[in-house]
Amino acid sequence: MLEHLFFGKLTLSAIPFQSGIIMGAGAFMVLVILATVVVITLYGKWAYIWREWLVSVDHKKIGLMYLILSFVMLLRGFSDAILMRSQQALAAGSSLGYLPPEHYDQIFSAHGVIMIFFVAMPMMFGLLNLVVPLQIGARDVAFPYLNSLSFWLTFSAAMLCMASLVIGDFAQTGWLAYPPLSEMYYSPTVGVDYFIWSLQISGVGTLLSGINFIVTIIKMRCKGMTLMKMPIFVWSVLCSMILIVLAFPVLTVTLALLFLDRIFGMHFFTDFAGGNVMMYINLIWAWGHPEVYILILPAFGVFSEVVATFSQKTLFGYATMVWAIIVIAFLSFIVWVHHFFTMGASANVNSFFGIATMIIAVPTGVKIFNWLFTMYLGRIILATPMLWVIAFFTTFAIGGMTGVMMAVPPVDFQVHNSLFLVAHFHNVIIGGVLFGYFAGIVYWFPKATGFKLDERWGKWAFIFWVLGFYVAFMPLYVMGLNGFMRRVNHYTNVMFQPYLIVAAIGASFILIGIFLLIGQLIVSIKNRQQLRDCTGDPWNARTLEWSVASPAPVYNFAHLPVVDERDAFWVHKEKTIGEGHVRPKNLHFQPIHMPKNTPAGFLIGILAGITGFALVWQMWIPGVIGFFGMIVTAIARTFDTDTNYYIDEKTVKETELAHLREMIECIGK
Amino acid sequence: MARMLKILVGCLFLISLTGCSGILDPKGIVANEERRLFFDTLALMLIVVLPVIVMSLSFAFHYQASHRIKDYKPNWSHNTFLETLWWGIPCIIIVVLAILTWKKTHDLDPFKRLIVPNQTTQTIQVIALPWKWLFIYPQQNIATINYLVLAVDQPVEFSITTDNVPMSAFFIPQLGSQIYTMAGMRTHLNLLPTSTGKLEGLNTQFNGAGFSDMHFVVDIVTPEQMQQWFAEVKESSIPLTNDTYDKLLKPSLEKTPLFFSGVVPELFNGVVTLYMNSFGTEHPRSNLGHLDYSIA
Repeated sequence: MLEHLFFGKLTLSAIPFQSGIIMGAGAFMVLVILATVVVITLYGKWAYIWREWLVSVDHKKIGLMYLILSFVMLLRGFSDAILMRSQQALAAGSSLGYLPPEHYDQIFSAHGVIMIFFVAMPMMFGLLNLVVPLQIGARDVAFPYLNSLSFWLTFSAAMLCMASLVIGDFAQTGWLAYPPLSEMYYSPTVGVDYFIWSLQISGVGTLLSGINFIVTIIKMRCKGMTLMKMPIFVWSVLCSMILIVLAFPVLTVTLALLFLDRIFGMHFFTDFAGGNVMMYINLIWAWGHPEVYILILPAFGVFSEVVATFSQKTLFGYATMVWAIIVIAFLSFIVWVHHFFTMGASANVNSFFGIATMIIAVPTGVKIFNWLFTMYLGRIILATPMLWVIAFFTTFAIGGMTGVMMAVPPVDFQVHNSLFLVAHFHNVIIGGVLFGYFAGIVYWFPKATGFKLDERWGKWAFIFWVLGFYVAFMPLYVMGLNGFMRRVNHYTNVMFQPYLIVAAIGASFILIGIFLLIGQLIVSIKNRQQLRDCTGDPWNARTLEWSVASPAPVYNFAHLPVVDERDAFWVHKEKTIGEGHVRPKNLHFQPIHMPKNTPAGFLIGILAGITGFALVWQMWIPGVIGFFGMIVTAIARTFDTDTNYYIDEKTVKETELAHLREMIECIGK
Repeated sequence: MARMLKILVGCLFLISLTGCSGILDPKGIVANEERRLFFDTLALMLIVVLPVIVMSLSFAFHYQASHRIKDYKPNWSHNTFLETLWWGIPCIIIVVLAILTWKKTHDLDPFKRLIVPNQTTQTIQVIALPWKWLFIYPQQNIATINYLVLAVDQPVEFSITTDNVPMSAFFIPQLGSQIYTMAGMRTHLNLLPTSTGKLEGLNTQFNGAGFSDMHFVVDIVTPEQMQQWFAEVKESSIPLTNDTYDKLLKPSLEKTPLFFSGVVPELFNGVVTLYMNSFGTEHPRSNLGHLDYSIA
């Protein structure tokens, strides 16, 4: 009895010893973790990592940790993609390939979940954390401790998802776990429970971040920065965060109901005893559709910043851009039914949602024309961030086009669930979201680390990514039109095999692209002296974050900026032209009030991960301990009144003067 | 390597010329309409998409800083005429597309009967079972597994439900329109084949380990051949009894079609109401014992 309360359903047989691929991947994972631990111990860096990173509430450090998490998870998610592509390239005719359905089905489910929740979302929050406070002239986010908590919740959720690889299994249901397939009757293993709890934990983290950034943007803008003077990136983030606050509670409730169905035998979504399957599908897409706009809006923001900077020209149609973002954000809530036109709704319902979907193409098109006319009559510098933007235009135009085509219900009746759909959403998510985030990472990397990324490696990575994308996904459009479905494990019609071989080759190009990105990072770290950004403004950019040193000092701004125009830093540079670079208005510094680091966020995050694991396996004693541990830690933290400290004026002065000296030296050269 | 690539590209080109199936090679009225609609929307969208692609590449090339174009307007950021233009043109295109969508969505509503003068409509009941399809011809009182015979130029109405398998989707790509199949519910699909031949039908909605094998054959024949086939099935095979049906409810893959000369009365309606009126915590099919859905 006690053993059951302690270990729940968990036994040694939960580890899939019979599967070579899983055990190999698991062994690799363990090796990497061990190697990291050994290296840290050898260099005696544990205290440093704890003090400077794990307990940090500095938005720039949290941002970097988000980016690291997202890249690690990208490797996992992409391994899944390679497995799927090779399976489909092999399993033609009488061949069944090398992945049996029970393994293959986990792979495509995990691929979707990981790429959206643990690659795209952390990459977005990484960028937001690095940039937003600096762009609005603030010293941190509104709630720094909450920010740290959000990251550690996301981290724990990702680790929970990774644990499913070796302990038990992951959902074999597709990335949204439609019932009744995800109900206990059809999926009795813990796979779906892993899905539920990793999404619940990361969902809470995301929701808290959403609130945090809304408050930060509303309350902490520097003096003079009215809403219509905010950089477009901040506008896009604001709208995206509003979508998070409206949409994520829907996800949390939906998954909670599915959990009740599974564990307590309730009937919200079962296909019998009064449950309603379509209710789940409606609810999950009422979250899921805004979710894709949550991802794409900040990417639109990045494009706006990058296009203006690298065309050396003011962004075209600022007000139109703002309204386009707002309209897109609003419309994203009234189109969710287009994900299931084939459920048998009436023609009136389908037409409404189809037409609402098409209307989104209008503000999106307007944004693209505004970007194009920012380039028009500009002086374009084709650095890596700008290259990503140019690849985005073509790729996203194609993806947007196929999206509108599928918004026509009778067309969707033909291509729904097919590879045409798969090609479409990879077209917009890779070509829009990922290219955008990559542009943003290259662009803001010097602000976070103090040195630029190597351009040559970056351009090669760019070439392989873009080429790989087209080779991997264009064949899928043709296959979808020929009636080849998604999630297929094997197929008898050998006519499809050449297409899938080409797609697999494309995927391997992308793999080379990923290796080149890693190479770029290593080379750049090695050459960080030559790549050093000593001015703080390596791109001749326009917004406030470039007015401080790179990497930005802990307190961001020695004096909080005051602005009276858009692109405040650009205007300032134009006014002071000939006087050398921008410098602080005065050298009288004051002590700066900053939040203290706290281990509470880290502890609560880790405890949430433990609680999630316990809930997956129904280990009630560890579950209760973990849950109360979280609450006790949160309460204990409220008694800690010593949460702030002052950076004295001497330190501020030294830091600022060091930056000035370096800048002058640089310009002298 | 280069030679292999050449061969591959050659293959792709050949296939795209000859081996079309799905929407690209329609064999029915609905699929044909959907194909036309597909290319109409494609054309409408290209009005905007092509200029965007051309402009993005040419602007990026032409206005490079190294080209030292004299005309440089760093602060030019607003033009009412231009902005009206690119709010306006997409709006017009979307209005056209919206009207088209409204009309075609109503015309091609899967639930809408297709009327052909002097032709009766063939009714077929479809039950999605764990990784196989049961087709019942109620007017003829016969049934098949994974084998569908339709008469050319005769409208057919499918009534569709599911038993003991997660939500699936019924689709014959070359005839048009797919529709979900759900337990305790009844969806409809109306199609009209226009030429004879063997086609492929399949499940498009992932529903577990046997998903990839849930295919069926669609044989479109002349009305005379159809009558002949009815007679053959009536004579040569055994009826579908409750016992046989219980066996079909267990997860399995049926590689070869099965034929039944008779069907349990009201089987289809019975299945729909079984789920609709069920209550309690037990799945309606739990009387079959523990079923293993993990292996195909």
